[in-house]
Amino acid sequence: MLDLTEGQFVKHVIMHPFEGFEDLRWKKKGSMKIAWVIVFLLFFQQIAYSRLYGFQYYSDYDKIFNIVPYIFRSFILFLVWVVANWAMCTLFAGEGTMKKIFIYSAYALVPYIAGYLIGTLLSHVLIKDEYIFIQLFEILGLCWSFVLVISAMKAVHQFTFGKTIALILLTILAMIAILFLLVLVLTLFQQVLIFVLSIYTELSYRFRV
Amino acid sequence: MPSLKKLISYLSAAVMTVTVCATSVSASEAYNPYSYDRWGDPISSQVGYTADYFVSGDDIGCGALNEPADLFVSHDNLMYIADRGNNRIVVTDLDFKLVRIIDKFTYNGEETTLKKPTGVYVDPYTDFIYIADNENERVIKCDVNGNIDRLFGKPDSELYGTELTYNPSKVIVDKAENVYVVVKSVTKGAVMFDKDGKFLGFYGANRVEQTAEVLSNAFWNLISTEEQRARTAKSTPIGFTNFDIDDKGFIYTVTESTETTTDLVKKLNPEGNNILDSLGIDNEFQFGDKSPTYYSIYAKNSSLTDIDIGPNGELNILDFQHGRIFQYDKEAWLLFIMGGSGEQLGTFRSAAAIESYDNHLYVLDSRKNSITVFTRTAFGEIVTEASNLYNDGKYDESYEPWQAVLKYDGNYRRAYVGIGNALFNRGEYKEAMKYFKISISRGRYNKAFEGYRDQWLKQNFTLIVIVIVVLIVAYAVTKKILKKRKQNSSGKGGA
Repeated sequence: MLDLTEGQFVKHVIMHPFEGFEDLRWKKKGSMKIAWVIVFLLFFQQIAYSRLYGFQYYSDYDKIFNIVPYIFRSFILFLVWVVANWAMCTLFAGEGTMKKIFIYSAYALVPYIAGYLIGTLLSHVLIKDEYIFIQLFEILGLCWSFVLVISAMKAVHQFTFGKTIALILLTILAMIAILFLLVLVLTLFQQVLIFVLSIYTELSYRFRV
Repeated sequence: MPSLKKLISYLSAAVMTVTVCATSVSASEAYNPYSYDRWGDPISSQVGYTADYFVSGDDIGCGALNEPADLFVSHDNLMYIADRGNNRIVVTDLDFKLVRIIDKFTYNGEETTLKKPTGVYVDPYTDFIYIADNENERVIKCDVNGNIDRLFGKPDSELYGTELTYNPSKVIVDKAENVYVVVKSVTKGAVMFDKDGKFLGFYGANRVEQTAEVLSNAFWNLISTEEQRARTAKSTPIGFTNFDIDDKGFIYTVTESTETTTDLVKKLNPEGNNILDSLGIDNEFQFGDKSPTYYSIYAKNSSLTDIDIGPNGELNILDFQHGRIFQYDKEAWLLFIMGGSGEQLGTFRSAAAIESYDNHLYVLDSRKNSITVFTRTAFGEIVTEASNLYNDGKYDESYEPWQAVLKYDGNYRRAYVGIGNALFNRGEYKEAMKYFKISISRGRYNKAFEGYRDQWLKQNFTLIVIVIVVLIVAYAVTKKILKKRKQNSSGKGGA
């Protein structure tokens, strides 16, 4: 039963939202490599969505290209999700390890990425009146991924449904806290840097005269 | 070492000549001409009108003007200047030769004078002059000799309200000889009289801007008592400052407000409804500067103080705050931005009124006490030609002029839209898409894309059918082959 390779398991998990992740857990066929590929795809999907979308719908301010927001929306958000989820699951006595959470969450994102990529492709073929078809794919992908995330979290931690929902909500809160602290740390370091730089400037003026 | 010094001096000399040349090119204007690009960012551009000369009261020969407030070019090509400080109306021809001064009036045999006139209008159908006699609290209707035909005083009506003051600041008259008066203390619109002086009501009020405060007030009003309601501040719109009427009878209003953005410029139909909203696709209605100008730390928004409708229906709007003239075509597309604040020719200290005639713009400065005359440049001529053809629906004829506009200024967004529309009308959808993309007009791009897609489908219909058939056949065949192989391999395995 279920003698699938790691690659085939991705398809199995996506096509079986309710048992797929349990099977994955049972067979221990999660792959970190595939998970990273999916996160990179998420990154490219974010760029494609704002840069390669059909012009009749939307186009971004094209005088500058800043990659930082895309990195934030893909890598940083995903990693913060993984860390926050792991932190929360230890409080709830969940079974997941950081690696497993990473893999399962990444697998759950595939329909979302695919839906939006299909939407981006279709936006070059359809006109404004037919936007509903694009929306269909995008919403479908989003909802599917949502179901998969719940299923993945349920499987990875061996929680009941209610506990999973509570965990997800708490994870989101924890993410906000982590991001807030990150911003705080960054600004603090910035202040320190400015302080050091101004001391350097003052000293350099003193010695020049 | 000396050779290096020489090199440096040569280099700096070269740099200086280049910069001097560069400045001398743009030094024809006393300010930096700019326009807005496709993203709404300011970008250097060319002027459509250049300041030719300016005229003071002494040049006219009527003595110095004193805080003049209004300017009007009549249908018989005379210029009327409301000389507020001197309590008179100065009439000149368009070469600024004095025709007459109107400062004494007779009404029922009695002599009367003006007190701070701030607005003047001449009815093209009856030749009567209408003067907003600000501090005498009346509007005068008289002939050229100062014989008053009728006075429009403060309306004796409950609708007007007894506590409101009545200081007319501007006046216009429509075809039916209804008189519209802007009164600064009235926020409900222009005060409207019929030709017999009967008060008809208010016309064309602005809407209240939807701010958070207005919304919260509306919410509290739902649940508060009558007494509480009476105590809360009423949200009133800002009354418009100035207006003009075009030859079709549409009234255009401007509102001098730096805080709000609602209803700054309106085009009103006889019912008093703003019809600028119903213009075509991809038009954004933003008048004046799109972002505030910074003077050291102070950010100042445009403050639109006067509007004039040009001979082709173009809107000339005067910005009091920065002394700028914004010209829009009748579809409310930005054409040119001229002027600035300052002392040089073409800049203003306190721009008060704008009028246009043929290819000239006349701007009255109430602190310089002078009139600056702008004349259309070659660039302005070609843009005007192109936009007139375009607005008349002659997209194809406007193609060449728009191309010429792009030779003057490659950043001129309107030209790309014009060329795109010409190509669209010819059915050259693919090219049109390119131009609509450059000018970021999504609605038009969408239509061009729809046309291009239909064209493409029609041209390649047989090819598409063939490809689909081939794909289906290939799919079926490979499936069969795979099945056979599987059977074979499983058969072998079984054996």
